[in-house]
Amino acid sequence: MTHAMFRALPALCALVALAGCGDQGGDPMRQYGADPYLPEPQNYLLPPMSVPKAVGWKPGETPTVTGGLKVQAMATGLMHPRIVYPLPNGDILVVEGNSPGTTPFRPKDFIQGKVKARAGTAGRGGNRITLLRDADGDGKPEDQTVLVDHLHSPYGVAYVDGTLYVANTDAIMAFKYALGQTKITEPGTKLADLPAGPIDHHWTKAMAASPDGSKLYVGVGSNSNITENGFDAEEGRAAIYQVDRQTGAKRIFASGTRNPTNLAVDPETGRLFVVVNERDEIGPDLVPDYLTMVQEGAFYGWPYSYWGQHVDVRVHPQRPDLVAKAVKPDYGLSSHVAALGLAFSKGETLSDKFSNGIFVGEHGSWDRSPVNGYQVIFVPLVNGRPEGKPVPVVTGFLGNDNDTVRGRPVGVALDRTGALLVADDTGNAIWRVSADQSGH
Amino acid sequence: MARMAPGVGPKSLLHPGFIGAGSTLLIAGLATDIMYWDTSNWQWANSSAWLIVGGLVLALVAANVLIIDFLTGRAGRINWISFFLVAAATLLSLLNVFVHSRDAWTSVVPQGISISAIVTILLLVAAFNGWKVTTIRTPANGDRL
Repeated sequence: MTHAMFRALPALCALVALAGCGDQGGDPMRQYGADPYLPEPQNYLLPPMSVPKAVGWKPGETPTVTGGLKVQAMATGLMHPRIVYPLPNGDILVVEGNSPGTTPFRPKDFIQGKVKARAGTAGRGGNRITLLRDADGDGKPEDQTVLVDHLHSPYGVAYVDGTLYVANTDAIMAFKYALGQTKITEPGTKLADLPAGPIDHHWTKAMAASPDGSKLYVGVGSNSNITENGFDAEEGRAAIYQVDRQTGAKRIFASGTRNPTNLAVDPETGRLFVVVNERDEIGPDLVPDYLTMVQEGAFYGWPYSYWGQHVDVRVHPQRPDLVAKAVKPDYGLSSHVAALGLAFSKGETLSDKFSNGIFVGEHGSWDRSPVNGYQVIFVPLVNGRPEGKPVPVVTGFLGNDNDTVRGRPVGVALDRTGALLVADDTGNAIWRVSADQSGH
Repeated sequence: MARMAPGVGPKSLLHPGFIGAGSTLLIAGLATDIMYWDTSNWQWANSSAWLIVGGLVLALVAANVLIIDFLTGRAGRINWISFFLVAAATLLSLLNVFVHSRDAWTSVVPQGISISAIVTILLLVAAFNGWKVTTIRTPANGDRL
């Protein structure tokens, strides 16, 4: 069915000649940094799309890494791994989950779901957290166990002071947890509810603990691309929450963030950073996803505007008062890359080149031709702010012709040896990138 | 009083009923477009999208039934004016279903609602001919029916 539809796509394009299927995106490098190139928004009958077919990794195949690094599979055969999270004792948690499943409302929803599924987004989530134990730090775990099972579309995870917090799509759960434990049997308790169904369009709930451990920050994505499911569905969404770890009381810390897919705290300054996925279907080069330091109380524009005061005419009624308040993010990541992973790299990590910056996992585009993302990049920090050109670190997720995709990077993290861990939800693997000691 | 012998009268056309049913949905799509324009309530736009899809499905059925009308000797000559009105409304609705697949306001205003209005006018004009796009075939003397 999907295949037949893809063969029918060129015919559809011909049929609706003004559809803009041939609208090609430009050089993504123009859209990295503080001042991304922003073309005029377009209106399409059929937005530009290019969705590579998920084929997985053949035995022995790995992503490609830049010079001086090596890559190895740390775990394979997982169930849609999204987040990788090293614990203080060196054990590594892998959160395996996917969307709880949304009810299609519009004729378009039926078709769009099938299109995206081609690139592996429909893989069944494990709804569990797997623990990898690699005591000798060689990247080959001696032990792999299911730590917690029967979760509800989990994504964010944070360990603070004898408690493991798991952000299910509808609530933060707290599990009593002693480091070293390989299985949690005691049921968790609910710390706080989170906005979820109905619809639950952007279902992931990213999470990070504040430096003193007293608060949890949670990213809640919008319930639509651009309010097409109505304003009621957006109540309390597209925002970053601050949740008190003791009481579960929550408040909105920043808003207007369409889909805040990952959060991380700068270990030096204690500042909260976020990667946000921006809106679709107004052009291959609109709107750039972004990385930014989160300013408390700030409004980042969604749905009314993007990148400051660029009004989105698809939203009605409009709100010029809110547009005027919209804050520009710090650093554009180019359009439709679907930035999902975020990890600080400070000091002795992979190499000197990566001693002060941020790794970003780019899951890869669907609403763009040619495709964009499908890689892990490094963004340098200057005075605690992202600045300068990004460096591709892990690539080779796409087949040669960009028509197939072997894996897609999601969450990234650095383990205690400084190696970079990458969760791959289409290849169902965890990749470990480390310095190549062999001298090549 | 003239009485026709059973089985030799003209058979009624099958396709106008399907064109009429499809037209009803497409015209209702204009009403829901107007409601969305007025209220910005997304469920009206959602309704329009489904109504246009429904109208197009019935248009496909009507096209097949029209062929059956010819094959079974029900249809006489094609009425090109009616045919053009209905065909144009169908093609415009096909375009409109893509416009309505956009997200939020621009799925309806301004293009979507404009196309719905044109489609409604075309179909209402076609209604004066009973949504028939052919004449009814009158059996000639000696026809084997």
